[in-house]
Order: sequence, then structure tokens, then C-alpha cells
Amino acid sequence: MVNALTCLLKKKVTEDYPVHDENLEAIGLKIKADINAVFGRSLAIRELDTGSDNATEIEINNLNNPFYDVERFGITFVASPRHADVLMVTGAITHNMATAARKTYDAMPSPKFVVAVGDDACNGGIYAGTYAVLGGAEKIFPVDLKIPGNPPAPAAILAGILALMKRAKDMKRREP
Amino acid sequence: MANNIDIGIRAVCEFLGAASTPDRIQAGCNSENYLVLKDHEFEPAVSHLAANKFVLISLFCIEGFSDRAAHSLFYVFERRNGILVLVNDVNETTSSVASIFPSASWFERECRDGFGIEFDGAFDTRRLFLHESYPENFHPLKKSFKNAPLITKETINPVDEYQFRTVTGEGVYQVPVGPVHAGIIEPGHFRFSVIGEIIFNLEIRMFYKHRGIEKLSEGKSPHDCIRIAEAVSGDESVANATAFCLAVERISGISIPERAWYLRTIMLELERICSHLGDLAGMLVDVAFPLGASQFSVLREECFRQCDCQTGSRFQRGIICIGGLEKDIPGGTINDLLLFIRQLRKRCRIGLKIVLSTTSVIDRFATTGVIPGTLLRPLNITGPVARASGGKVDVRLDHPYGIYEKYVPKRQRLQDGDVLSRFTIKASEIMDSLDLIEQLIADIPAGDIQSEAQVQDGFALSLVESARGQNLCFVWIKDGAIERYKVRTASFCNWLAIEHAVQGNIIPDFPVINKSMNLSYAGTDL
Repeated sequence: MVNALTCLLKKKVTEDYPVHDENLEAIGLKIKADINAVFGRSLAIRELDTGSDNATEIEINNLNNPFYDVERFGITFVASPRHADVLMVTGAITHNMATAARKTYDAMPSPKFVVAVGDDACNGGIYAGTYAVLGGAEKIFPVDLKIPGNPPAPAAILAGILALMKRAKDMKRREP
Repeated sequence: MANNIDIGIRAVCEFLGAASTPDRIQAGCNSENYLVLKDHEFEPAVSHLAANKFVLISLFCIEGFSDRAAHSLFYVFERRNGILVLVNDVNETTSSVASIFPSASWFERECRDGFGIEFDGAFDTRRLFLHESYPENFHPLKKSFKNAPLITKETINPVDEYQFRTVTGEGVYQVPVGPVHAGIIEPGHFRFSVIGEIIFNLEIRMFYKHRGIEKLSEGKSPHDCIRIAEAVSGDESVANATAFCLAVERISGISIPERAWYLRTIMLELERICSHLGDLAGMLVDVAFPLGASQFSVLREECFRQCDCQTGSRFQRGIICIGGLEKDIPGGTINDLLLFIRQLRKRCRIGLKIVLSTTSVIDRFATTGVIPGTLLRPLNITGPVARASGGKVDVRLDHPYGIYEKYVPKRQRLQDGDVLSRFTIKASEIMDSLDLIEQLIADIPAGDIQSEAQVQDGFALSLVESARGQNLCFVWIKDGAIERYKVRTASFCNWLAIEHAVQGNIIPDFPVINKSMNLSYAGTDL
């Protein structure tokens, strides 16, 4: 039987937030406000690797570590494209991934946004013009935003998401 | 040890017998030995090496290397600290060695896709890195093909689709997973054959990320190729850049300043720590233990930030160059690293204590995903994965490069081969790397960080121990440009171990088994 008093007196297992980054908080709060206004409080992102060197995946993954913890800003990475508002593409589009990439995009409900993350996704990077790739993400998707970098740091990706929110907000405003 | 003849040379003397003359063995730039075989010698040589426990660590093809034939196949064998490369000149066909050395199966399929060489008697002749959309009879690594955008097939006829092995029987059903997975992870296809929840068979299909790294490097200047080496696998940037530069430096007889080797080694070990911390966190996420996972993901992020402070890149990119390093790291910055390392060690111990005293975690880790030690040699499994299954391989110890001869890492070894062993090995290796970095910082000499690099023509093989295991790199420079850059990361071989590791486990344990092996898709697909 658990004693209620023990629960109260027991040392808490949470720890203080490791760092406090003013810039990050400011960007995060802006993103949150925009997500609240445009996306009904949560932005669902589906990450799609079409041929990256895995550094960009690592940086996107890092957005979920306790330093950034982007879920508190309303950003979630979802398991299925059917749940996604945004497709985050990393890497140049390889021939071997092209079909799967198209299917992923087609499975997303509209309206949908595509963000190219990293140099290779932006314009094909070092692989542009070679036999194994089609080129950057725009070869098969309408790309709404490009976040360059080799790879872009988590803070840069977050700044990119903020820029996308601004565009989505403008779009919504223009709607009749 | 002058009387200690290289184990590879001794083997050659044994199988060639009377035909063996000292001048037939060509010593390579990097303590590897080459032997060009005559046609009739190939089969006895291969069976002799198999009988003497040599491991086939790589097999790759080069066009235009010899006058005798269009292609030369390089079979790279390793035993203890000996590296023997058998060169087999072939035109279009040769016999397969995949049933003697199972690691050869993927190698041969790779050569077939790249150059169109047929391997008689091969048990698997499906295409490997060229998926269905690529045209028939297309071989991108042939010199006659100039690297340019390719028109591929729009629609695939169902009969031309990749044929997975079919497993039949009462109650067996298939679960196809991928190439696009649920998490933020690279693409690959897993075809499970399952009875109830238990995995009866797994077949993997990779190379969705094939981006033509090897062809891309052709004709580039060695300096420009470093960027390509760094792009092989993002979290192995330092290891692959080092392996490439090491090969070029050996070819050209460049010896790099001592300080540069100290700094390179610090970077290599930092990369290992970053990678292993990510694995520990990932394994804990996959058994739903975020309390432990967040400990390590915090430390990993701090590690990335430290890498950024030291080198100006979170992945330590753009600093390694032929002849040393692009820029020096100032003493003050290195001192910060020392303080960080000491902190990291303490906090790592705290994290490990939490994890290893949690019974639910141990329950999920122990006896899960066992890789039997008998697979290590046939499949050339290396790195922490091998060392957790009783393997002894570690390039830093077996073929020391740079200053690893002076700073010998501990040889970590466990026997059980399950997820728990891999977790424990990686945790111990983090501690060892921290000790090693601390020692290096204490001893680091002052001086230059770059020696004048006059690149010469030639070829060399180099091996580096990345976080995932043995990374092999072969470079051939002709007329000052890269004629052939072959890279075989540890993941390329380690991937096949997962097909065995999951057998008899339940599908929900697949993610943690996969994470415990930490295989790079990018590094395999090239």
C-alpha cells in the first residue's frame, strides 16, 4: 500500500531544465502563437528522408531532446503522413526513393506544406546532376520553404518553421 | 618483431607452395600486402584462406587497373593484424565465393550492379543497389558511363518487382515495413515473416538512399573528395574523412604533424562518444524509459555543442584535410573540453546507475536480439556489435593508425551478444574514450597542424575504427585525380547480422534490437 505522505515527501525525480536559451524561447513562443492561430494549436510534421547522409535526421531528432523539446511549442512529429500538415524532406531525391516519396506526399491531406531541410534537399547539393538522384525536393514536390545547411542546426530548423508559420498565416489571411 | 612474418604472407607461401616467390607479393603503402593471382590459383587460395580463418572484409572492383583484363577484383582478407589483398583480374565472369565467405554475397552483388561482372555459382543474383526503376544492363561504375542525370522507368511491371524470399507454413504471415518508417529515421525495407508475434524470418532490403557516392568521387581532386567522404554517413564524418586522408597521405608519403594526430584522435573519440550516447538514449526510448533516455540525450546535445565550440561544426566537418587539419584548436578551447569531459564522465555514471538499477529495463534488454559469436567471421561483423558477442576486433588495436599505437584503448569484450551486452559495451566505450581524450589533452604537443601536402599518384587501403566498427577505404589516385574511391563502412556488413539477431524475438522488440546495433543506412547505401 502506498502511503500518500511518502509521495509528498519523496524527492522529486524531475530535474531543472538544463539551459535557458532566450532566443530559442522567443522563437518557440512566436511559433506557438502562430500554430494556435493557424493550425488549431498543433502542427503535425512528417519527416521524410529521401537520401540524406543522416546528419540532418539527427538534427531534426535533436529538436525533441530536452534542450529544445519542441512539443511544448505545439510541434509534433507524427508517424503517418495521413496525420501530417507539413512534410519535412531531407536529402536529395534518389531514384530508389522517388516512388515511396511520391506516395508519402500523396497520402497527406490538403492543405499541405513541404519544407526542404539541408543543402541536398534544397537543390541536390553535391549530388546535383548525377545519375543516382533526381535533384532537390522540388523535382517532385511543390516546396514551400528551404532551410539550407550541411546540416542546419536545430535552432536554424526551428527558425525555418517560424518562417513557414508566417507564410501559412498570410495564406490564411488572404482566404475569402 | 622481425621474425614475426606477416600472417598473410605466410598464408600465401603455404597455398602457392613452389610457385611462391617473394617478388610476387607487393607490399602496400599501409602494411597491407597484395598478391596478383593467376587464374588457376584463385580457388586453392580462397579455400586455403577459408580453412585458416581469414575473414573476407571487402571485395571491390576496379576498371583499368591491370593490362591483363578489363576489371580487377580486390578480395581483402584479414586475420588478426594481417591484411592480404588478392587481386583477381577478370573480364566478364568469375566464380562466386559467397558460399565459402557469406560476406561476399552483398559484395558480389555490388560489383555486379556497378560493373556488370557475373559471379558463377552465386546463390543470390538479384540486383543490390540498383532498384527496379534503373534500366537493365546499366552499370554506373563502368568508365564508359559518364555521370549524368538518368532517365529511369516510370512504372514497374509487377513481374520485375524485387523478389523477397518467401517463407511458407501454417500460420506464417508477412509484415512488410518501410521504406518510410514511423520515426525520424532513414529509409529501408524490412520483410518480416511472423508466426503470431514471434519473428520467424527477416529479410532486409536497403539502398533506397543510393546516391552514387563512388561515381561522384571519380575525377575529383583528392581535396574535393574529403567533402564526399564526410557525406558517406553524417555521424561518421570524422572517421570517413580520416580514413580517406590516411589513404591519400600513405600514397603520397606525407607524414602529418604530431599535434594534428592528437587533435584528430580527440575528434574521432568525441564522435564515438556522440554516437554511443545517442544509442544509449535510443535504446532506452525504445523500451519506454524516458527518464534514462533524457539523461543521455541531454549529454549528447552538450557533446554536439562542444564539437561546435572545438571545430566550428556540430559534426566536426570541414576540419580534417590531407596533411593534417585545416585549422588549429586553441589551447583555451581544449581546456574547456577537458572540463567538459570530466563533467560528462560524472553525469554519465549517474545516468548509467539509474538505468542499470531499473529492473524493467534489464528485463527488456537481457536475452533480447542475440547475435551468436559464430556469425562474426562469416559476415565480418565488427565494432561494438561484435565485441558484445565475444569478438575481439578493434581496428585501433589490430591495425593501429596515427597515435593509437601509443595510446592503446582497452579491448572491451562481452560474451552474451544480447541488447544488454551491446548497451554495456557502448557505455564502457564511452568511459574509455573519455579517459583517452583526457590523456590526450594532457600530453598534446604544441606545433604545426598541417604539413605540406604534395599528392602523388598511387593506391592504398586504409582502415579506421568508427563508432560502428571497421570502416575500410581504398583510394586510387591517377594523374592527380581520384580514379577510384571505394568505401565500405562497418554498417554494410553489420546489417546482415540483424536478420539473425531478430529470429525468435517478438516484433515489438525489433526497434530496440535495431537501435542497439545502430546501423547506418546512408553509410551502406552510398
